[in-house]
Amino acid sequence: MKLHAKHIRSLIRNESHLTKWIGYFGLGIGILLLLLSVQMFVNIQVLLGEEAPRKSGGFDYVSVSRQITNSNMGKDNRFTNSDLDLLRQQPEIAGVAPLYSNQFRAEATAGNVLPFSTDLFLESVNPAFLDTLPANFTWGPGQEDVPVIFSSDFLEMYNVFAPSQGLPQVSAKTISSVNIFLPCSGPMGSKTFRASIVALSDRVNSILVPESFLKWGNLHFSGDTSSPISRIYIKTKDANNPQLIKFLDAHNYHINKDKIRFGRIKGMLQNTIGAIAALGVLVILLALILFGFYLQLMIARSKENVRLLLLLGYSPNWLSKSFSSTFLPVYLTIIAICLVLASLFQQYFSHLSFGGNGPGIVLHWSTWLTAILMFLLTIIINWKMVNKEIRQLEKKP
Amino acid sequence: MQLILKNLLPQFIPDVKQSEIWGNEIVVSQGEHIHIVAPSGSGKTSLIHFIYGIRDDYNGSVLINGTTVKELPAEKKAGIRQKHLSIIFQDLRLFPEETARENIEIKRRLSPYHNAEIVNKMAGRLGISHKLDQKAGTCSYGEQQRIAIIRALMQPFDFLLLDEPYSHLDEQNRQKAMELIYEECTSRNAAMIFADLKNIDFLKDEKTYYL
Repeated sequence: MKLHAKHIRSLIRNESHLTKWIGYFGLGIGILLLLLSVQMFVNIQVLLGEEAPRKSGGFDYVSVSRQITNSNMGKDNRFTNSDLDLLRQQPEIAGVAPLYSNQFRAEATAGNVLPFSTDLFLESVNPAFLDTLPANFTWGPGQEDVPVIFSSDFLEMYNVFAPSQGLPQVSAKTISSVNIFLPCSGPMGSKTFRASIVALSDRVNSILVPESFLKWGNLHFSGDTSSPISRIYIKTKDANNPQLIKFLDAHNYHINKDKIRFGRIKGMLQNTIGAIAALGVLVILLALILFGFYLQLMIARSKENVRLLLLLGYSPNWLSKSFSSTFLPVYLTIIAICLVLASLFQQYFSHLSFGGNGPGIVLHWSTWLTAILMFLLTIIINWKMVNKEIRQLEKKP
Repeated sequence: MQLILKNLLPQFIPDVKQSEIWGNEIVVSQGEHIHIVAPSGSGKTSLIHFIYGIRDDYNGSVLINGTTVKELPAEKKAGIRQKHLSIIFQDLRLFPEETARENIEIKRRLSPYHNAEIVNKMAGRLGISHKLDQKAGTCSYGEQQRIAIIRALMQPFDFLLLDEPYSHLDEQNRQKAMELIYEECTSRNAAMIFADLKNIDFLKDEKTYYL
């Protein structure tokens, strides 16, 4: 028969003591809190953050403009190059692209066919920031046709009010074949171009023309070479990042509310969950301390037997291991119960509001990892405490 | 394997006048039989405890196979007690709540030299067969002494320390126990260090030291 921990179990007085049960209970509560916090943290990331499906290529593209308030109304609220540099320095911002706007008057008319005419604002942006970029989105001086990228939101808006104005509704496919005239004028001259919509963009809320056209128009119609920046597009991993929102708020920058609506909630939720996790860790520590007291008591009560085992040649390490292993099934049970409870919670949470699109009903791997780490930590701390006690007995037989 | 006592002097004995052990160098080799004779209170048990590494309130050194016992880390000490050094305590040190058999098994499982059946045979020879399944705490002192003897013989050893092992045995049982111990020491080619109050006539080939 091989030497086994069970052979010395009768020599250890592991009694049903209240301290032990409070310790177990506290450990369970603490680990459950911690697991739930980790899982909720992941859930929030999935719901409001980096893994949301609305993103393109893993990045959010949001436009930043200056907040117009009563105090800065009427001043020049356009961006300078130093503003751009400051934005570029932010770790949360992966890319920055200024939007230049037209300094001349531009109109859109449908010629003589339709009695339709409207003033336009034109903007241009670094093509790298566009989600749809056809090859013919270029312009050179002398070219009569100006390619335009149109926001799909604008098309939707147009289709909403077109019938009431007696205008035809157009589909995304036919819009490219609509003939639009683009009369441009300024103090230094005027010229009518033909505009053709070459693409629709979901990302940029604007009417975009090639940068070369905008610079040429600003120069030749208005004599403007400064190219003021009306808005800035930023590329970021997560538009809801609380740090980013804090930075933008501090600089009085305004960004699309829709995109960051959850950012503030997320920040708050993350803080709350962090606090719960901290509480969980605290409870675990208290439970382990309590458990340490119980272990001391247990070894103190079995002191004579442990001393004799050491005298007979039982190794302190083996004894510590055997003592600790007494609690292994209990710890395993506690962790298993916590995982089951966390799974039930996750199923409930998942069914509650997300109908399949939200976080899954299975616990995230980081929750499993936390459970495993907590198990190992508990065993190691337990072993260390037992080992310390036994070594003290060994020194003073 | 060799056991060396080098200038050993207990700190609690201020000045030793005449001793063949304290302050001298004694070398014990395997197979030797050493008999230490001394009256009560002269430090017999202390000497046995120094060798076994339970106490270290002495000057000088105890060396087992070249290693100083005082400096042995706990794990190594446990290893030596499992394989090289066995002991019969004067105060026996049994687990009173465990049966006689369990007391013996606790030692046998740790570092088996014999199989489990030998326990019955040895118990038979020493006349405690009927006590094997009784709690050690309820056995008489003489019976406990025999349980402790059997327990010490369960492991491999190069040195066997005996601290007045027969104090509560009658002449006949003493003889039987001594024969068993001799056999076991011989089969292991082990040395025997036997501490007792007086000279014992049935010891053979022993070196006697007066403490």
